[in-house]
Amino acid sequence: MLEKIGQSTSTAPCFSEVDSSYVFEPLVQNYLQETIDRYALASLDMNPVHTNLEWAARAQVFGIPQTVGHGMMTMSSLASVVTRQWGVLSAGGGHLRFVEAKFTKPVKVGESVTATAKVKSKHHHGPGKNWVRISVEARDSSGDVVALADVGYGLPD
Amino acid sequence: MSVPARLDRYIETDKQRNFPRDFLAGWEDYETWEQARVGDAGPGQRTFTITEEDILSYNLACGETDPLMVDPSYAREHSPTGELLQHPIFVTTIGFYTVGEKGIGTWMRTPGARNPGQRIEIIEPFRYGEIITTTVTTVDKFIQRGKPYLQMLLDFRNQAGVIKARWWCSLILPASRSDVARFANA
Repeated sequence: MLEKIGQSTSTAPCFSEVDSSYVFEPLVQNYLQETIDRYALASLDMNPVHTNLEWAARAQVFGIPQTVGHGMMTMSSLASVVTRQWGVLSAGGGHLRFVEAKFTKPVKVGESVTATAKVKSKHHHGPGKNWVRISVEARDSSGDVVALADVGYGLPD
Repeated sequence: MSVPARLDRYIETDKQRNFPRDFLAGWEDYETWEQARVGDAGPGQRTFTITEEDILSYNLACGETDPLMVDPSYAREHSPTGELLQHPIFVTTIGFYTVGEKGIGTWMRTPGARNPGQRIEIIEPFRYGEIITTTVTTVDKFIQRGKPYLQMLLDFRNQAGVIKARWWCSLILPASRSDVARFANA
């Protein structure tokens, strides 16, 4: 599952360098059952709707006879679309402050989800406290929105 | 047993090995929407000692490849903390582990639950060896378009009382014990 380990390249820009036209590289997440299984163990969210194919078919929690990915797995992608470019903690003091996500459609096993992000607003709170709000959207392979999020990120001066 | 045996091959940490992974076992003890009362608060069932393997496992499961997140020796040399950097949503693992299986907040394990949205705030990074205690507070309980919603706030503090992260956790739930039973016994 690990594609590459190289040198870390994620670096956040300075607050003054960012405007509302800033767009992040899209991030694609494939919801293979193996990926969902690994996420279930790593997160300890072992709800059978994610991992138990037979139970999911009988219970049909979302009206479909299949397992679905974790909302928190989608939320991780909504954060990663930002942090893979800017870092979780960046040289100079950049850091992710919050993620607020809303899930609009379940992601069934086998789906592919693409997350896109752009800077929405700049918050001028003073040196060392300035931050930006980033608008993130995730769509499945049908083009339907599966999740929306705001990500807050503190940027160096 | 509702946990398929195929998952065993992905176990990477002591916590994954020892955590009660079968959410269909003991569901009778989970707090329900009907039982939950806004304002109720209490500690999680167990503490979480932060280890490198916990962070590494979560980062890998998210598909991360940044060596600061997945290569412990690189992180020791180059990361601002000298440790692996954790994915911001790693608090999910701490939440499920600490809330446990009996008492306040255990509705997060409910079979049949649906996830409408979440908010997570990161105050400062977790560090290896920190012992994290979770305080659970029921903050909202409402019905919207006929669906029962419940929200709790999880405050994560280290052994010195320093707050590290906060998670406003919301779910749409089967409302009563008998509603849960229909999913648990499906």
